[in-house]
Formats: sequence, structure tokens, C-alpha cells
Amino acid sequence: MRPKQVAFGLGVLVLVVLPFVLSDFRTVQLATVGAYFIAILGLDVLTGHSGQISLGHGAFMAVGGYTTAILMANHGVRDLVTIPIAAAVAGGIGLVAGVPALRLSGLYLALATFGIAVVLPTILKKFDHFTGGSTGITLFGKPTQTGHGVGVWGLTNNQWLYVLTWTIGCALFLFAWWLLDSRFGRSLRAVRDSELAAAASGVNRAKYKVLAFGVSAAFAGVAGALFAINVAYTSPDTFPITLSLYLLVGAVVGFFGSIWGAALGALLIQFLPDIVGLIPHVDPKQGGPTTFFFGLVLVVLMLALPLVLRVASRVANRGYLGAR
Amino acid sequence: MTRNLCALALAALALAGIAAASTSGTPGVSSTTITLGSSGPLTGEAAAAAGVLRGAEGYFKYVNARGGVNGRKIDFKYLDDGYDPSRTVQNVRQLIQQDNVFALFSVVGTNGNLAIRDFANASGVPTVFSASGATTFGKEYAKYPWTIGYLPPYAEEGQLYAKHILATNAKKAKIAVLYQSDDYGKDVLAGFRKGLGAKARSLIVQTVGYDPTASDVQSQVAQLKASGANTFCIFAFGKFAIQSFVYANKLGWKPQIYVNDVASASSIMLLNPQSTAEGAISILWGKDPATPKFKKDAGTALGAKIVKKYIPGGNPSDGFLIAGMAEAFSMVDALKAAGKNLTRKGLMNAVTHMNEANNPFLVPGVKVHTTPTFRFPIASAQLQRWHNRHWEPFGGVQSAKL
Repeated sequence: MRPKQVAFGLGVLVLVVLPFVLSDFRTVQLATVGAYFIAILGLDVLTGHSGQISLGHGAFMAVGGYTTAILMANHGVRDLVTIPIAAAVAGGIGLVAGVPALRLSGLYLALATFGIAVVLPTILKKFDHFTGGSTGITLFGKPTQTGHGVGVWGLTNNQWLYVLTWTIGCALFLFAWWLLDSRFGRSLRAVRDSELAAAASGVNRAKYKVLAFGVSAAFAGVAGALFAINVAYTSPDTFPITLSLYLLVGAVVGFFGSIWGAALGALLIQFLPDIVGLIPHVDPKQGGPTTFFFGLVLVVLMLALPLVLRVASRVANRGYLGAR
Repeated sequence: MTRNLCALALAALALAGIAAASTSGTPGVSSTTITLGSSGPLTGEAAAAAGVLRGAEGYFKYVNARGGVNGRKIDFKYLDDGYDPSRTVQNVRQLIQQDNVFALFSVVGTNGNLAIRDFANASGVPTVFSASGATTFGKEYAKYPWTIGYLPPYAEEGQLYAKHILATNAKKAKIAVLYQSDDYGKDVLAGFRKGLGAKARSLIVQTVGYDPTASDVQSQVAQLKASGANTFCIFAFGKFAIQSFVYANKLGWKPQIYVNDVASASSIMLLNPQSTAEGAISILWGKDPATPKFKKDAGTALGAKIVKKYIPGGNPSDGFLIAGMAEAFSMVDALKAAGKNLTRKGLMNAVTHMNEANNPFLVPGVKVHTTPTFRFPIASAQLQRWHNRHWEPFGGVQSAKL
């Protein structure tokens, strides 16, 4: 067994055990973490491996979330069925967005994708007959909701959401793992490291960059769909610009765009606000300090984590974990 | 080492789970405490509205210091949602499933309350005295028996302005309306139209909506001015209301202004250009501490005392704090009426049989009155006119048909 396979096995084991030891509410929080996990996996493919920065992944999540919400609420489509559709719609839009992205790189691409994330909530509010406007769409208790908010197979509703999200999360992780280990992944990394060298070796630069955008957006679409199903509600404010920023931070914190750190980044997005509330003399009811500490912790993590990881990888390379 | 840590962490989490599960009987009620939960914008652009929660918390502390309600102290736990309804949903899920609250009290915002309504009702958790005036919270009790609002319904507010226009300027009024294009803004506008009745078509010369995420309403105000209107209804919230005054002033437009309750706190009105704000009309239901008429009032004095003792950093002339205290006063009344053997059903019975005429934080004459089929706790209000940097109430307390 390779260390990575062992790590994956352990990860799955932890996921199976957690609902038995955690309260019902923590379980559903972890389901939300699962949605972030999937979005970060997508961002890992795009940013970590093809080197394209996206500050707009919250927007692709919104596309997925709204696809699910509109289909469930207005067209009688069962929630499970909407997930692949959300992936397809978001992926399609990702492919389209990937074409102009070819002409942009680095900071310019970051700004362009940032623009998508800024504009999307406004667009959602503009077409309110279709999207429910700023009131949003409530999915709770809709007949298309699996378990009708009560639960299935003897699971509570929260446990069911956990099982659903993390089953899909694990499957997509395996898919991403396979994909990045294949010719596709190698081509992406070649393009990331040197476009010229990649082109000289016969890698179609444009094709792979656009495909990376599409795959990545499809992941985000699934994440958005699961987020909408988990919360059973969606509105334009569900996917604010800060979500896109947090996702990128999550991807960076998770070992700089490696899919192996996605869970860490996802946990950070969900629980950092709670942890900030534990700091003595910080009243989480006052807005200012919470926001301040959130920023501070992020800065410290971004500065400290590379160091920790460098030390860790040095230890690992000495054969402690038998890595490589 | 890592394994030990993991085991320790798991054990701790398991213990936490057991601890949370060991409540019995009515959730959120023990022999010594009643746990209430809420959610509101403690951060973000709408953060001023969170004063309602702080004011209520202060009043609960005041009551606790005097022995609580039927021997139980009120533990009021509220979470930040930044005015994002999907966070309201997650907060409410936490409050109900993790913190085991007895009831939700004064959840802030129309959209947030709409988003949690199905879940809270399916869970059978009272969602009491929500800080929203959306008419639906009082009307749809058959479908949502566990939900009841508090503020004067927006539709009624619109009707009161219409009534005033018809009484004072029915012949020459040319009305322009700026409204927030969501459930709240449309609710006020619908009430306004209803109040004008058959005259609505001839009197209203233009209505323009704005998106609550827009950055400003300059073009909307210019458009409304260009319509030639002499009456300007500002059914807008927060910064948009202030901008409406500012741009009307910049454009040299001097209409008779009607500004809705959610934007008419004295603290906000003082930010407006005074030459434009002078003469503006709004409604009043809670005692605005900055209004001279209430400066020496016993309720205002009590409010100031509570702010000083229990709300550190609170501004005693902040109308949101007083509104929160008014809500908390009614809540305490309802909890008392629900009796020593407190149940969720008992609370709903109490909040739908309110008959409270002594709320010290409400304008004299405004009563909290509900029945199982009439669920608008505050269904009356008084008009007030902005004059010389403060509000002056005028006319009697009135109500409208809903």
C-alpha cells in the first residue's frame, strides 16, 4: 500500500466514524464542509495544477445552487437528479469562461474572475421572477426534497445530508486524483510550469486550460448544488464575493492547491468563525473584533503554514513516512 | 502521539454530544432558565438593526436581576447572520438542534424570517415577535401557526401615509415613490396603493424600485424628480434612505417627503440634509428617546437606565434599542402568561392572546393586542413630522384595515 492510499483509507474511516460520535447538528455542519471540500477540489485542479487563479468560484457555486433550487422548487425535479445537471450547467459556463481566460493570466485573470463573482448576485436579483430575487428560494419541505427534511433509511435528515455530501465528495476526490495522475494532469502541470515548453512538447495549451476551467467549474457546480440541498434555501447573498475569496484561501491553506489539503481548507472556512469566538475577551456578538480576528488568523496562517509544511515535507522526505 | 490526540479529541466530542442531549421535558426550559434564540445582522451594512437584539438582551438582564419570569432567568442567545438569509437558516438550525432553544425571539429581517419559516414550523419551534413588518407573518397563520411578527405591518404603514395625503393634499398631490424591490418595499408600496384606492392611478406619477445590493440611488431620485412630483415617498432602508434625502437636496427638489419607519430613527434623520428633511412625515410606535415629548417620560428613563447598566457602549438615544426593549417587554408578558408549566404550545397560546396596554416603551395609545386570528401585535401607530432636528408626533394613534 502506498502512503497516499493509506491516507485516503484513513480519511474515509474518519468520515464513517464521525457521525457516530458527533451531535446531529455537527454532522450537518460537516455536510456543509463537504460542499466546500468539493469546491476546493475544483479550485485545486484549476489553480493548483493549471496555474490559473480564480477569484470567482463562488459564482460557479451559485450557478450550481440555483440550478438545483430552481429545478427542485419550480420544475418538480428530485434533488439527487439536479446534482449532475448542476455540474453540467456550471461546467458549461466554466468552459465558456475559460475561453477569454486564455488571453488573461495572473493578476488580470484573478480580476476578471473576481468580476464574475461581484456581478452574479446582482444578476440573480435582476431576474427575480426566475430566481426569487433577494427573497431567495426555500427548498425545505418541498416534495422534491429526499426525505422531506425528515430523513431516510432510519437516518436523521442531518445524517442523510452528511452521507450524501461526503459520498459524492469521496467519489469526486477519487476522480480528481485519477484525473491529475493521468495524462490530463501532467499536461496541466506542464502548461502551468512553462507554456512554451509544454507547447514544444506537443501539449495543446488552449485545450487544456479551457478544459481545466470547465472541470473546475463543474466541481463548484456540484458543491453549490449540495450547499443548496444542505441549507434547503438559496439566495443571492448565499454566494457572496467573500465566499470566492475564502475558497481560494482554503485552497492555498490546503497545501497550496494540492487536493490532499482540500479537507483542511474546507474545515477552516466552516469553523474559523467559531474558533474566533473562543478567544477570551472577544465578544462574538460585536461585529468588529470577529471580522478583525478572521483576517488576522488568515494572515498568520498564510505566513506560518508554508513554514510548517516545509518542515513537514523535509521530515517526510527523510523517509519518516516513506513518502515519494 | 497523533493517535492519542485524535482519541482524546473524539472522546471530548462524544462527551459534548452527551452533555447536549441530556435535557428533558420542554427543550430550552429548565427549573432555573428559559433559553431563547435569535439571529440578526450583528455585522455588515444592516448592523444598526441589531440594536433590537441588544436592547432586548438588556431588558432580559434587567428582568433577570429582578427574579426573572416565574422563577426562571432568561438566557438570550443570538447569532450573527450579516443579513444573509442562508446564514439565518444555518443559525436557526444551530439554535434549534444544538442549543435546544425553547423559542426563537425577534429574528431580524424580512428575508431571513421568510427563509426560516418552513423549517421552524416543521420543527414546531415558536418563532415569536419577529423583527419584521411583512404582512405575511400576521396573515398566514393557518399555514405557519408557529410564526408571529411584531412591528406594525408594512401594508398598514403604507395606508397611513396614503390616508394623510388624501386628507391634506388630495387635489394637487403628484406622488413619486422610491421603494426597495424586495418583499419589504413591495409590501409598503402595495399598502400605499390600497390606501389611495381609486385615486392611486391619478395621484402616483412614478414609482421606481432599487436593488438592495445597489451602491446608490442617485439615478432613481433624479428620475423621480423629473416626473414633476411634489410628494416623495421614501420606502427605503438604511443608506438608501439617507441618499434619497441627499440627492433630493442636491437636485434642488423640495417635495413633501414621507419616509418609512425603518429609516426614520432620529439618529438617522440627523444625518440627512436638514433643509430637505424639514417637514418630512413618518410613523411612530415605539418611544423615540430623542423626541422632546418623551424626554422626561418614565419609559424613556427606564430605557436609559437599562442601557447604562446592561448595554455597554449602547447609545441611550438609539431607537433600535428601545424597540428591542418593547419587544422584550411583550415577550416577558407572554412568558408570564404561559405560566409556570412552560410549554411551546402554551407560549403560542399566550402570544395569540395578548392584551398589553402598559408597555412603557410604546407610544401612549399603542397597544399590543392579538387573537388567534388577528396576529399583528402592533397594529396601530401615530404620525410624526420632522421639525427643527427632531420628530413631533401629531394626530392621534390610528390603525388601518388589513
